[in-house]
Amino acid sequence: MSVQTTEPTPSPAPVAAERKASGLLWMTGSYVFSVLAAFVVGAIIIVALGYDPVRAIESILTTSFSTSFGMVETLHKWVPIVLCAYAFAIPLATGKFNIGAEGQLLVGATGGVAMGILLSDLPLIVLLPMVLVAGILAGAVWAGIAAVLMVRFGVNEILSTVLLNFVSFQLIDYVASHVWPDAGAGHPATVPVGDGARLPGIGGPPPIHVGVVLALVVCVAVWLWVRRTPSGFEMRAVGANPRASLVHGLRTSRLAGLGIVVGGGIGGLAGAIEVAGVHGKMLEGMQSNFLILGIIVGLMARGSMAAIPVVAFGIAVLEVGASSMQRTAQVPVELVLIVQALILLFLLLSDVVRRRFERRVR
Amino acid sequence: MSQSAPRLSMRGIVKEFGPVRALDRAELEVAPREIHGLLGGNGAGKTTLMNVLYGLYRADAGTIAIDGAEVVIASPKDAIDAGVGMVHQSFLQIDSYTVTENIVLGTKLPGPAWRLDLSDPREQVAELSSRFGLHVDPEAIVEDLPVGVRQRVEILKALYRGVGTLILDEPTTNLTPGEVDELFRSMRTMVDEGLSVILITHKIRETMAACDRMTVMRDGRRIATVRREETDAEALAAIMVGRDIDEGVPEAAVIATGVVEDLENVADVVESAEPLRPDPVDSGAVRIEDLRVRNDHGVEAVRGLSLSMSRGEILGVAGVAGNGQVEFAEAVAGVRQPESGRVSIRGTDLVGRPTREWLAAKVAYVPEDRDGDGVLPTMTVAENLVLGSQRSADIRRGGLIDWKAARQKAAEAIATYSIRANGPNALAGDLSGGNIQRVILARAFAHEPSLLILHNPTRGLDLRSTQFVYEQVHAATAAGCSVLLLSEDLDELVALSDRLVTIYNGEFVGEWARGAVDQVAVGQSMAGVGVER
Repeated sequence: MSVQTTEPTPSPAPVAAERKASGLLWMTGSYVFSVLAAFVVGAIIIVALGYDPVRAIESILTTSFSTSFGMVETLHKWVPIVLCAYAFAIPLATGKFNIGAEGQLLVGATGGVAMGILLSDLPLIVLLPMVLVAGILAGAVWAGIAAVLMVRFGVNEILSTVLLNFVSFQLIDYVASHVWPDAGAGHPATVPVGDGARLPGIGGPPPIHVGVVLALVVCVAVWLWVRRTPSGFEMRAVGANPRASLVHGLRTSRLAGLGIVVGGGIGGLAGAIEVAGVHGKMLEGMQSNFLILGIIVGLMARGSMAAIPVVAFGIAVLEVGASSMQRTAQVPVELVLIVQALILLFLLLSDVVRRRFERRVR
Repeated sequence: MSQSAPRLSMRGIVKEFGPVRALDRAELEVAPREIHGLLGGNGAGKTTLMNVLYGLYRADAGTIAIDGAEVVIASPKDAIDAGVGMVHQSFLQIDSYTVTENIVLGTKLPGPAWRLDLSDPREQVAELSSRFGLHVDPEAIVEDLPVGVRQRVEILKALYRGVGTLILDEPTTNLTPGEVDELFRSMRTMVDEGLSVILITHKIRETMAACDRMTVMRDGRRIATVRREETDAEALAAIMVGRDIDEGVPEAAVIATGVVEDLENVADVVESAEPLRPDPVDSGAVRIEDLRVRNDHGVEAVRGLSLSMSRGEILGVAGVAGNGQVEFAEAVAGVRQPESGRVSIRGTDLVGRPTREWLAAKVAYVPEDRDGDGVLPTMTVAENLVLGSQRSADIRRGGLIDWKAARQKAAEAIATYSIRANGPNALAGDLSGGNIQRVILARAFAHEPSLLILHNPTRGLDLRSTQFVYEQVHAATAAGCSVLLLSEDLDELVALSDRLVTIYNGEFVGEWARGAVDQVAVGQSMAGVGVER
């Protein structure tokens, strides 16, 4: 007889907690590994250049924490980095790449500085909000150009945001050298804004400008928006599967455009805070390398809006440590950018390793 | 078996995906010159077992022997070298190449490397094609060919490589009844020529028609191997489901067994197995008038379809894939903008309005392409269930989405719909195909639809899931929902539909009332017989 019958046993129930724990372990593990590996490679480069790696790394890592001045500088650096990271990460949640944070920052700064100069006599309670709102709107409108081109005409957003950066360089050059030039600066810069346009400081000495608090508010607001509101949910759905989102009634291209506009507004706020909190005016080169740092932070956070402020703080520590490293160990500041890029590369590498590993387990 | 060495023997095959044991000491033995059916429900492990044999997965334990000699198969290349070929449900073909070019791709070509001469392979392909009754023009460009012919190309690919064992994974899914018969005849020729064929399917009727022996799998194990003469469809269905048919799953089992050959019987069995449907009321609940829709390439795919449905009516649309069903379903779901025509649901004209207004008018759509159109793979089950109703009042608190309430609802849906998932926070992309479909159905039914559009809702589902879908459909119609059922499964259409229409080349070409369906005529109508183009 050829009928054989065996009773199947129920398959073991998958253990959710175990999986979650191993995921968390992987995540922290990959971050620690990436940072360590990046510093090891960085140290090798420092030795190869003929400098002292111990002193260099020590000053990179300790400057922010050894003095209150270092901490304040770190927090002031953190603000534009974290805001530019959101400018990149929010559109990324819908699957779009905003590579225009520095343009949005500069145009936002222009909007802010225009208010601060034109209405310089107004009191702080009136003028400061106007400066900040003008910065947000200017950044949003600037990014809105790319958004409209994308939604209406299908122009690739990477291309348009990058090209708009170049336009913004010319724009602030024009404003700083022709509209409100500061002849005595010896460098393209505008005249200072009125006192009412300056962000007040808290604590000290040295004081921290209130922009740090504003940035924290933005962090919470973005998190709430993306995780808890219907429109934030819709944005993430579009990023997860645009086709399924369309089938379920979401206006996918408008949501993608909205992501870029909101990102641009936050980039613009970064510019206004730089004007109102740090420089007191607009000057050429104020965008620093915040665009690239924002992208690095946004990618390192891997889609988690909650991780962005933390990662951005780490990057701000490295940035502040960089200049001190140049002073104490004579290593060029650019080395820190190398280390930052290496962290990201190792992080991406650990993702590849993880996938390989998981496939092997299958 | 009494013969010498079996063509194929798989022993104690274990395969685990993380915590899930997909194959639990699975066994399979295939004799030379036999067509062997591999039967089982969704997630029974049939395809996994064959993927192990074809080298796509590596087994955690177990041995494979071919013609008595143990082999190690670590990649498809090893499998091909061992004489094993597999035809998947989705074809791996280069659209712009000819049939011959596709077939020889990856094999050693005759002649010098600097000159491509395909005349020998072309003759070989033509010879194989006529020998096995797999009619294909070796010079045709693959993208111009219909699905049934592309499948033949895939089979020829395996034959060209000299397989001894050919695996066919659910080969009849997209074929017309006539094409299925042809395929089965070709399989018989292959066996007569010395090959062994493994037919993966969950349709019992097919195995009874085509196979010499069949192995039934359930939960990753072999439950039984039986000879066709020693069994019948009811017994197989009972083994497959794991309980007697009388106790439950009446409709799906009846359909899958193909016990019912004529329509009166289907109607009898199904009518007796379900509560009587309410009388049709409000005969214009759904009206579609002269609907014309273009496909993605700008070609008119739906050419002037009109129909009207009453509340609680199930209208079945039969047709071979690619005759405008996707475009029709999407247009009626409000996802695709039609060229012209009207769609009104309970008196509301909807054409031209955005998709979310169609949703608000209680139109629910269960798309054919689950992964592409139905699910957010990187998001959780709870989030997937919220999709489409994220702005409804009952999951919002103070303007924000109340995820606690959403998760609770998801937990209820997971229980009601027997979704196998690690709770509401499990990622949808980690679920199996059948469970993804349950999530999509749970979402659709939660809308309490007035019009439900189901496109191949039970494709790839096991009997129990299929029965579950049918129960949900009946519950929805009892609540007054009109159901538009587009399916390639004729048995399913016959069993469920109050009315059955056939679609061919974007037009309705035949209509049958419940109980008056002539399956042969439906099959001919689907294949365009008697329709001038």
